[in-house]
Amino acid sequence: MAVAVPPPERLDRLERVWLPRPGVLGWLTTVDHKRIGLLYFWTTLVFFGAGGVEALLLRTQLARADAHLVGPETFDQLLTMHGVTMIFFFIIPMTTGAFGNYLLPLMIGARDMAFPRLNALSYWIFLGAGLFLYSSMFVHAAPNAGWFDYVPLALRQYDRGLNVDYYALALIFVGISSTMGALNLIVTTFRLRAPGMSMNRMPLFCFAQLAAALALVFALPALTADCIFLELQRKAGFHFFDVAHGGDPLLWQHLFWIFGHPEVYIIVLPAFGIATSIIPTFARRRMIAFPLVAMAELLVAFIGFGVWAHHMFSTGLSTATLVFFAAASMMVVIPSTIQVFAWLFTVNIGTPVFRAPLLFIGGFIAFFVLGGLSGIMFAAIPFDQALTDTYFVVAHFHFIIFGAAVFPIFGGMYYWFPKVTGRMYHERIAQASFWVTFAGTMLTFFPMHIVGLLGMTRRVYTYEPGLGWDVYNLLETVGGFVLAIGLLMIFANLAWSGLRGAPAGPDPFYGGTLEWTIPSPPPHYNFALIPTVTSPYPNWDSRERLADREAFARGVGVLDAGHETPVSTVADGMLDDVATMPAESGWPPLLAVAVTVGFGLLLTSHYATACASFALAVLCLVAWHAHEPEES
Amino acid sequence: MSAHDASVRVVRAGEAARPNGWWGMAIFVASEATLFGTLVGTYLYLRGQAHHWPPAGVPRPALLAPLGLTTLLVLTALPLVLAAGWARQAKRGPAWRALGLATVLQIGYLGLQLHELSTQIAQFSPRASSYASMYFTLLVVAHLHVLVGVALNLWLLARLARGLTRYRVVGLRATVFYWLAVDVITVVVVAVQLSPRL
Repeated sequence: MAVAVPPPERLDRLERVWLPRPGVLGWLTTVDHKRIGLLYFWTTLVFFGAGGVEALLLRTQLARADAHLVGPETFDQLLTMHGVTMIFFFIIPMTTGAFGNYLLPLMIGARDMAFPRLNALSYWIFLGAGLFLYSSMFVHAAPNAGWFDYVPLALRQYDRGLNVDYYALALIFVGISSTMGALNLIVTTFRLRAPGMSMNRMPLFCFAQLAAALALVFALPALTADCIFLELQRKAGFHFFDVAHGGDPLLWQHLFWIFGHPEVYIIVLPAFGIATSIIPTFARRRMIAFPLVAMAELLVAFIGFGVWAHHMFSTGLSTATLVFFAAASMMVVIPSTIQVFAWLFTVNIGTPVFRAPLLFIGGFIAFFVLGGLSGIMFAAIPFDQALTDTYFVVAHFHFIIFGAAVFPIFGGMYYWFPKVTGRMYHERIAQASFWVTFAGTMLTFFPMHIVGLLGMTRRVYTYEPGLGWDVYNLLETVGGFVLAIGLLMIFANLAWSGLRGAPAGPDPFYGGTLEWTIPSPPPHYNFALIPTVTSPYPNWDSRERLADREAFARGVGVLDAGHETPVSTVADGMLDDVATMPAESGWPPLLAVAVTVGFGLLLTSHYATACASFALAVLCLVAWHAHEPEES
Repeated sequence: MSAHDASVRVVRAGEAARPNGWWGMAIFVASEATLFGTLVGTYLYLRGQAHHWPPAGVPRPALLAPLGLTTLLVLTALPLVLAAGWARQAKRGPAWRALGLATVLQIGYLGLQLHELSTQIAQFSPRASSYASMYFTLLVVAHLHVLVGVALNLWLLARLARGLTRYRVVGLRATVFYWLAVDVITVVVVAVQLSPRL
């Protein structure tokens, strides 16, 4: 598809209006969704590296029986940090913060997110929360009670250091960022779609982002409340979780999993969205059952709120409760299967070209089905009670949250790499990296099913020889290093291609969505002409794109008077308004600094100074809003 | 931008059924409502575990002050809704005065509630039992939401004093929506607070 060649003077004007500040200051004060997406991308990759090194240390420790590479306390800290990092500081910010931020406005024909300054703030708060969490490692007080931090272990009398305080405050802190990001994604998908893009014409990627964002908004408060209760009990002597004063330790588990299970879908839904972008492009046809897949994405998020107690089948809940949650958990199979069959049939009916992005989606489907099948096993109450807290569980959830949630991230990195950089990646190395990563993942996590069935419990820092676990643990560790090699191949390919790759052009794969209608990398203003949309695959509607070019030549729909983007009605996508977007602002990073200092002071129990720091954050907020977008 | 253009844009902001700022506030309110849902759910969960609620030695909550103060807070919805309506019609003066009246009443509400709270803390400590911990946590979080609303009002009063813009009208509409949600949440919180009397 050829890209519109609009009159140069209009482009010059748009370029002037949207040109960012040069240099580091431009990045610090940016409100451009693409730059914020890239900031998220690089930051989450650093956290991914940290979480990966932690995982390799854990696997090296467990490679043989009676090993003492790290002691039990260090093992606990590494284990907890690995889980917290991968979930809160890699997958969620990578999928919603990096992919969502960069791609969603491009796919719906917008020039930015609905609230650009809030978008910047959510990144800087995320960075502050990450630095806050990782500062714990420098004072040897990293969280150490597991990623779900069960009480009573996490209460002060059993865990006296700052470890659990770091955990609780970091999760409250990063929750602020996630809520702001989710709010922005929701309003952007509701309101900033290009004219004509009614809800039923919105790309499935955006449906998946919307579903994940909605789930975040409604799930995170339970975790926040839980962490507030924990801190009030640990620091102020309140009573929520201790039986002696009328509390209940199971309260922690209920609230944690009311958040924690939707969290699994928050993690995996954007992966569904990436899959439903890549499959049609490389199968050369539209997704079959498009409305059913869209509904299934939303339904997965909805049902995810009704299944939390299946994480608590061995805690002594009543049989009636267990049966209800087991049945609800089985229901998740329905929307999941709709999607699996839709993906497979689209590939089967189309004419697939198995390039690297589609290979990674193939891996994703394989792992999703394998992890899903073991997931259904856990919905059977006696099976769960027999295998809970064994390595079988570890195998199951790693197939889902690494195999199913992260493989599409790698596929997406290859797929949108030409769009973001303007250069092509090296296809053969990309395909080789898939096979190494796939083999490494399988070798790391599949034997965990077997050691789980042989009785190896999770979170043990070492084990005795002669239990039949040794060879499987060694295989898993070898698999971990093979996986690491595969990941290094992916990043080396992308890094080299970013510098030396062949020019990609605007649309190297003939993708169907709007981001492929614009140059690569996208201009600051994204769309010179605001397109009019008539289907979920607008780049394949050649007649409409021709009409866009003619409209541009006539000067219709350019919106070059300022930082302007069209606003549409929520359901029908009819043009409703033209919003003036704010320009760059230094206040979001300053505000995030004040909040980070505030959390540090809360950790060290300097409450008055913490209040002063939060007051400074409020002053930043006042100064920020003193500058109104229309004054830009 | 000419004065005519400015007023046209203000009225257009008023005409837009649901501006982006309103949607942003709606999602924020949904998140906060979920937070209160969690707090109320926790209160009921802990109550379900207890033999005595409140525990022996803790006074049952008084009826008069919470009900009276909540009625006062809910009544402030009227001047707030009027303020939003007038702002949408570009009537700055009446909008400012209605918002000012609501703010004065809300500050009075908050002051009296904080006085009530300090009196109660003197009677039973939040460290005494799960009932006391939950009771004070619920009330303090509710009062914090009122404090945030008052801060928003004061900021809007300062901005509206310098004129009406599209941005400020949207801000006022979003803030009024926030207050309506806080009113509903406060009614629920008071119902939970007084539930041992039922």
